[in-house]
Amino acid sequence: MELLQPSSLDDPIPSNSLLLSGGTEVVPLLRDGLLDADVLVDVRGIVPRGIDGTRIGAGTTLAELEVDSAIPDALREACRLAASPQLRNMGSLAGNLLQSTRCWYWRLDFPCRLHGGDTCHARAGEHREHAIFGNGFCASAHPSDVAAALIALGATMRTTKRELAVADLYRLPTDDDRSLTTLEPGELILELEVPQPERSTYLKAMERRRWSFPIVGVAAARTGDERTIVLAGVAPTPWVLDSPEALADATPLPGTAYKVEIAQALVRRVLQALA
Amino acid sequence: MARLIRTEKEVEGRFEEVWLVVEEDALEQWPAGAREIVGKPAQRVTGPMRALGEARYTADLRLPGMLQAAVLRSPHAHARVKKISLERALAAPGVRAAVGPGDVSVLTDEPGHQGQAVAAVAADTIGQARAAVALIDVEWDVRKPLLDPDEAAEKGQLVGEASRYERGDVDRALAQADVVVEAEYRTQTVLHSSFETHQSVCEWRGDSLDVYISTQFIFGVRDEVAGKLGLPPDKVRVVCEYMGGGFGSKNGAGDYTFIAIELAKRTGRPVRCALTRREENLASGNRNATIQRLTVGAKTDGTLLALTGEFVNATGWDGWAAPTDGPMRLLYDCENVRTVLYPAKLNTPPMKAFRAPGFVEGTFGLECLLDELAAKLDMDSLELRRLNYANSTDDRPYSSKNLMECYRRAEQHWGRRDQVRARSDGPWKRGVGLASQIWYGGGGPPSYAWVRLGSDGRATVITAMQDIGTGTATAMTQIAAEELGLPIDRVDFVLGDSARGPYASVSAGSSTTPSMGPAVRAAATDAARQVLEIAAQRYDQEGRVLSLKGGNVVSSDGGSWPLEEVVGLLEDAQILGKGARGPNPTGMQVLTFGVQVAEVAVDVETGEVRVERVAAIHDVGRVINPLGASSQVEGGIIQGIGHTLSEDRLLDPASGLTLNPTFDTYKLPTIADVPEIVTELLDIPDEHLTNLGSKGLGEPPIVPTAAAIANAIRDATGADVRSLPISREEMLRALREARERERKKHGAPTAV
Repeated sequence: MELLQPSSLDDPIPSNSLLLSGGTEVVPLLRDGLLDADVLVDVRGIVPRGIDGTRIGAGTTLAELEVDSAIPDALREACRLAASPQLRNMGSLAGNLLQSTRCWYWRLDFPCRLHGGDTCHARAGEHREHAIFGNGFCASAHPSDVAAALIALGATMRTTKRELAVADLYRLPTDDDRSLTTLEPGELILELEVPQPERSTYLKAMERRRWSFPIVGVAAARTGDERTIVLAGVAPTPWVLDSPEALADATPLPGTAYKVEIAQALVRRVLQALA
Repeated sequence: MARLIRTEKEVEGRFEEVWLVVEEDALEQWPAGAREIVGKPAQRVTGPMRALGEARYTADLRLPGMLQAAVLRSPHAHARVKKISLERALAAPGVRAAVGPGDVSVLTDEPGHQGQAVAAVAADTIGQARAAVALIDVEWDVRKPLLDPDEAAEKGQLVGEASRYERGDVDRALAQADVVVEAEYRTQTVLHSSFETHQSVCEWRGDSLDVYISTQFIFGVRDEVAGKLGLPPDKVRVVCEYMGGGFGSKNGAGDYTFIAIELAKRTGRPVRCALTRREENLASGNRNATIQRLTVGAKTDGTLLALTGEFVNATGWDGWAAPTDGPMRLLYDCENVRTVLYPAKLNTPPMKAFRAPGFVEGTFGLECLLDELAAKLDMDSLELRRLNYANSTDDRPYSSKNLMECYRRAEQHWGRRDQVRARSDGPWKRGVGLASQIWYGGGGPPSYAWVRLGSDGRATVITAMQDIGTGTATAMTQIAAEELGLPIDRVDFVLGDSARGPYASVSAGSSTTPSMGPAVRAAATDAARQVLEIAAQRYDQEGRVLSLKGGNVVSSDGGSWPLEEVVGLLEDAQILGKGARGPNPTGMQVLTFGVQVAEVAVDVETGEVRVERVAAIHDVGRVINPLGASSQVEGGIIQGIGHTLSEDRLLDPASGLTLNPTFDTYKLPTIADVPEIVTELLDIPDEHLTNLGSKGLGEPPIVPTAAAIANAIRDATGADVRSLPISREEMLRALREARERERKKHGAPTAV
C-alpha cells in the first residue's frame, strides 16, 4: 500500500485511492477488510484547517472545535460528547460527517443490504442500537453527533466540486443505490459555513457517560421563530424532525421502541433550552 | 513435621476431596491491629517497574529466532469441517509450519462455538502468519446453533449433571408463609477484558519445555502441559513474572499454549501465540448469562420461611456449573431451602471462572428478591437482613464471621437515605440500596516459600507464585519485612518461575494472600531465627533476649547491632529460611462477608442511571496492606458497575455469532462512570485461620455491587429492575411497569 501526502489540490489523486485525514475511521475499516485500497492519500496538506468566523476548515479537529467559544453551542457540545479525547484529537470535522454506520452486522461484514446483499440482518436480529425512522430498507443508525448539530445549525459546505447544505450530503439507501451520501468519487469536502443562531444546543443519551455513539442525540437551533431539530442515532442518516409531534411517526423495531421514549424526553428538553 | 491429611479443597466455589501433605503451622498470630509494616499502607513494590515500562510481561517477550503463530478459529457457532487444506498456507511467504485438526488436541474439525481453534500457522512475522491463515481452505458444513439456555435445560443438553440441593420442607413452608414473592432475574454474559490477552511463548530445550505464559497458576499450567504431553512435570518450566489481568480466565494452559508447543516442536524455534482482542473476546472465556426463577416465603415480621430457586446457567460449549445457587444456600438463616441448577450446554463460547463466579449472579437475584420482599412487608432492608442472620447454614461453625459488625458499620451510609432522596431534582430521582456479600476466600495448602538472607543485609523472598495484578507481591514483601525487622526496600520478592522457587498455589478464588502469606511468614520467621542464633553466639547473648528491628539485631537490655554486621559473617554464604502453609481449620466453613451501600440517580424520562457513591464494608480477616486492599475494592466495584449498567456480550439470535467483539461496542465503564467509593475493612483477624488470620479480598468487592445498585434504583423510583445490564431499555421498561402497578393500585386517574 502506498501513502501519498499531496500539498496542493492540483496534485493528481489516483482513482484507486482512499482519502484519509485523522484516520480514526479509515484505518480500522482497512484493518477489518471493509475498505481496500492500493493508495492512501493523506489529505491534511490540502484540506483547510482552522476557524475563521463562521467558516470552518473541513480538516479542523473535533478537539479544536470543542474548546472554541465562538463555535455555536450545539456544535461545540456535539464535539465534546463525541468519542474520546484521543479520537477527537485526531478526527476531523469532515471525516466525522463521512463515518460509516456502527451497525454491527455491517461492521462484521454480514452480507447485508449496505454491503450489496438482499437482507437487513438487524431488522430480525439484534438491533437495540438501531433506527426508529427511515428503517424499512436498512435499519442502521447514523452515528454522527456533529452531523446532526451542523444540519440543525443550517450549515453548508464547499467541496472540490460544489456547494451544498450539509443536510443534502445524506440520502437514505435504496435498492438501486445503496450509498448513504451524495458525495461523488474523489470529491473532497473543503470548508463549512456554520451560521451563528440565537440559541442552539445538543443533548445526547449514551450507554455510558463517555465514549459512546448516541443512542439518541438531539440537536436544535433557533433564530427568531425559526426552529430546527435534528436527531442522531435514529435513522440511517441524520434525521430532521419537522416538528416535535413528528416523533409520533416513528417506526421503531421491537428492540428500538425505547429510543422513541428517550427522543421524546430529549426533544422536550431542547425546546425548553431554546426558549 | 509433614503430615498427610484428607481434606476438602475449594477453589472458586468448586470443592474436591484431596490428599494433602501439610506442615504444622506453629506460629502464633500477631495481635490484632497494625504493626511496623503489616497493616500499614504500602505502595506497590512493582509500581515503578510497571510505570516505567520495565516490567516484562509475556506480551513483551521476544526470544531470538521466535516465530509468530496465528490461529484459524471457527467463523461459525456450530459447524463441521468437511474438507481442509493447509497447502496454500504452507506455501505462503515466511510460513514455517501449519497444523490442523488432529495435529494438536485443541484443534477440532467439529467446532461447537464461534472462535474454537481449528488450525494454526507459524511464520516469521505476525502479519505473515495472519495472511497465511486467510489462505487455509476450509469447506464448512454449517449447522443450526442451540442458543436458548431454557431449551437446552429442557432437552437435558448440559455440560454436567444438574445439581440439586434441599434442606427442610420448602413446599410446606411456602404454604405457611404470610407473604410470598416470586421473581425472575436475568444476568448477561460479560467478558473478563484482561488488558494483556491470553498468550504464551513456548520453546523446546532438548527434551525440556519452557512455557512463558500470562497465567494465574504457574504450577497448574505446568501440570496440565506435562500431563497432556506425557512429560515429567520437572521437564516443563513455566514463567510468568508480570501479567496484565486474568480475573479467573487464566487458570489453565489454553489452546494457544498447546498450539505454540506443537509449532515450536515442528520448527525447532520458539513460538509465540497471542490472542488478538477479537479472539480474546470470543474464545478466552466469559461470565455466563443466567436465568434465575426465585421464590421467597416469609412471615409478616420478616422471618424467612422458605427460599427456592431454579437456576439456568448459559454455560456455553464447555465449562462448569458456577454456583449461582450458592448465596441462596449460604447467606441466610432459613430452614427450608431448595435449589436446582442446570448448566446449559450451548453453541456459545465457553464460560470460565470470573471473579466470584456464580455468586455475583446469584447475589443479584437473591438480594434483589430480599428487597422486593422488604418492600412488600414495608420493612427496612437492613433490618430484614439482620433478622435472618445466619449463625451456620450447616453443622459447621464459621472460622470467623463479622457480618453483623459490617451491618452496624453500614448504618451511617444507609442512614443517608433521607438526605439522598431529598436531593432528587426534576426527572432525576435519587435513592440508596444495599446488598450483602458472601463468598469463599480462605485459600489453603499446599504453598511454600523460601527466604534468603545474604551478607549485604538484604532479604529475598522466593516462591513460584504469580501476582495477577492484585498487589499480592507487595503484601508478601510486607509480611517478610515485618518478620525480618527490615524496611520494605531491603526485601526483594522473586516470583513467577517454576524453576526458581517452590510450589505456590493458584491466584484464583481470592486465595493468594491467605495461601501464600502464612508460608512467607513462616519462611521469614525461620530465617530470622537463624540470624538470631548466629547473633547470640557472636555477641554472647541469650537468644531469647534478641529480636530483629529496623535493620538491627536488638537486645532487650538495649544492645543493638546492624544486621549487616551479623550476616556479614557469612561472607558469600546465605541463610535460608523455609516456610509452608499449614492446614485450614478442621470442620469449619471459611467464608468472607460484607455489605455494600450504593447511592444512585435515575433520570426517569431517559432511563439514565448514574451511580454516585458506593460504600463497601468487608470482613476479610487481617488486612496486610490497606492501600492495596482499597485498590482491590475499587477495582471490584468498578467492574461491578460495568456488569450492572453497560457490559453485555451480544449474539446474533440466528447465527449465534458475537456482534460486539471489540471495545468500541463492548462497553466497559470509563473513568467518567466511576463514583465516589468508600472502603471500610473490618481488619479483624480470623483467629482460626493460619498464622496470619487473613482471608482473600480479590473477589468479595464485586459480589454485592449489582444488587446494591438495583436496590438503590428501586428506592429512587419504585421500579423493579430484574435484568442485567440495567440498560436504558431495561430501566424504562421497569419504570413503565411500576407506573402500571401504581395505576392499578390507585385506580385509573380521572384526568391526565
